[in-house]
Amino acid sequence: MKIKNIWAWIILIIGLVYFFLPLLATFEFSLRMIKDRYTFEAYRVAFTDAKFYLNFGYSFLWAILTIIISLLLVVPTAYWVHWRMRKMRPWVEFVTLMPFVVPAVVLVFGMSRLYGGGLKLFGTPVLVLTGTPILLLAGYVILSLPYMFRAVDTGLRAIDVRTLTEAALSLGAGWGTILTKVIFPNLRIAILSGVFLTFAIVMGEFTFASLLYWPAFGPYMEEIGAMRAYTPQALSVVSFLLTWGSIGLMQWIGRGSVQEVAAVH
Amino acid sequence: MAFLEINNVSKKFGATEAVSDFNLQIQKGELVSFLGPSGCGKTTTLRMVAGFEIPSTGRIVMDGKDITDMPANQRDVGMVFQSYALFPNMTVAGNISFGLKIMKKSAEEINQRVNEMLDLINMPDYANRYPYQLSGGQQQRVALARALALRPDVLLLDEPLSALDAKIRVSLRAEIRAIQRKLGITAIYVTHDQEEALSLSDRVVVMNAGKMEQVGTPFQIYNFPETNFVANFVGTLNTAPAEVIDPARGLVSMDGVQFISADDLNGRQKGDKVRMSVRPERFSFADDQKKDNLLDCTIENITFLGSVVRIQVKIGNTVFNMDTFNNPFLELPKIGDKGQVTCSKEAVLVIGH
Repeated sequence: MKIKNIWAWIILIIGLVYFFLPLLATFEFSLRMIKDRYTFEAYRVAFTDAKFYLNFGYSFLWAILTIIISLLLVVPTAYWVHWRMRKMRPWVEFVTLMPFVVPAVVLVFGMSRLYGGGLKLFGTPVLVLTGTPILLLAGYVILSLPYMFRAVDTGLRAIDVRTLTEAALSLGAGWGTILTKVIFPNLRIAILSGVFLTFAIVMGEFTFASLLYWPAFGPYMEEIGAMRAYTPQALSVVSFLLTWGSIGLMQWIGRGSVQEVAAVH
Repeated sequence: MAFLEINNVSKKFGATEAVSDFNLQIQKGELVSFLGPSGCGKTTTLRMVAGFEIPSTGRIVMDGKDITDMPANQRDVGMVFQSYALFPNMTVAGNISFGLKIMKKSAEEINQRVNEMLDLINMPDYANRYPYQLSGGQQQRVALARALALRPDVLLLDEPLSALDAKIRVSLRAEIRAIQRKLGITAIYVTHDQEEALSLSDRVVVMNAGKMEQVGTPFQIYNFPETNFVANFVGTLNTAPAEVIDPARGLVSMDGVQFISADDLNGRQKGDKVRMSVRPERFSFADDQKKDNLLDCTIENITFLGSVVRIQVKIGNTVFNMDTFNNPFLELPKIGDKGQVTCSKEAVLVIGH
């Protein structure tokens, strides 16, 4: 028993060292901007750069728009699949896995060619979307699909969608009421999981923003990394904190729900 | 004219016919049970009345209005589900008031109706509880209150007690019946539990393989089953193959043992193969009372069931169940004892082969 415990501790410590050592090293390095002293100078420099706020702001905007579009697309689709088309579920799941199969760079070039004049009607290019953020947002929605769909799908599996919908229908509710008053509130945690995962993905995304020439936090970090030594490390640490903050917020909002779900099912 | 008419309704799912040529007229204030095994089409029929399924053929008319193609959320129908289907994110009061808010009732009216419903289900102090804080029986009572809050024309109950334990089932079914009678609401109750159907219905529809087998009062269904399926499905029944000996006298023979039946056998010919049936409680020991059929038997087994003692008696080569009330002051026979049992000719049902 004791030997087992020792091994468990050893494995835990190896895991923690594996995950945290590079992060601690990055943090430690980010504090060394001024020679022979630990300071937050790199963070001060990062936060006083106007381009930081501009790029961060754009990424934030892309993230919010992606989340809204993803929710509007994924929640009704997943709901309908659970309610009426259960046989279609594996197919929808397969489609949502596309970003794992098709690399982002292939996706972005394909979209650029198709929507940059490649789609023609009687010889005239139609649906030319390059130059608008539509392609960027579409790309982000595709990238977030596996996470958003899985989160919502898991939430829908935990509730009896069909019976709840029928109960609401028998009480006179229309589809809008059913979605907003019955389905969405009971998917709160699942939706939040999808929202924060999407947020984290979009905030750190590089390929789409860089190749479609839109300002974003990912390309900014890459640009700073090529020019400076300490500031990118500070931004990396900020990035981690942002992600952890999102996850923490998600768990804080979802507290108590596990008990409710366990009691109901 | 009936309040709810289900006329020639059938429902197909692909090549499978779940419900076939279903016809039923339900009067206002009547409680009708659909009774049958799993897959017999009872829930599908209920769902067609609710509007969750559209009939492949036939019409459904409620209060003179054809509702066959009307969307579910426009029908004046309340529904109680087996899994309660309370909205987990809403309190008891929130659940009960859900439909009233959709109907845009005033806050005052909603409050009044919610309190009225909570009193009706004897849960006046539970308004602010969430479903996960309630027992199964309490959740189902709230589901009933939620369905009744809108004062629907018809109440549909889809196996509402199946998920509850035996004691709560019995008390809640009495409560459901009392509430239904008090409000005078027309109700359809789907169940596979014969005791439930017989104890709370005005009429029972026994269904099998998508078809109606028999419609009648619980008394008729139990005592005068019209088909072999009904006879076997409702209650415990002894049944054995027999041959018609004398149609005019109602005489049939089972393995050489003759039974007299009160059934009209005139439609049958001598030598016709039939099935004869006797309910276990219709047998009694010969010294109790002289009856039409006096039969030699051997005691095969005795099972104590509490209020009833089930005795297996061998008559000819066939073993029959015989139920007798438990009387602690009477001595029971022993296994292997030989004796005689009797039953009246009315107890012998001849159903068909």
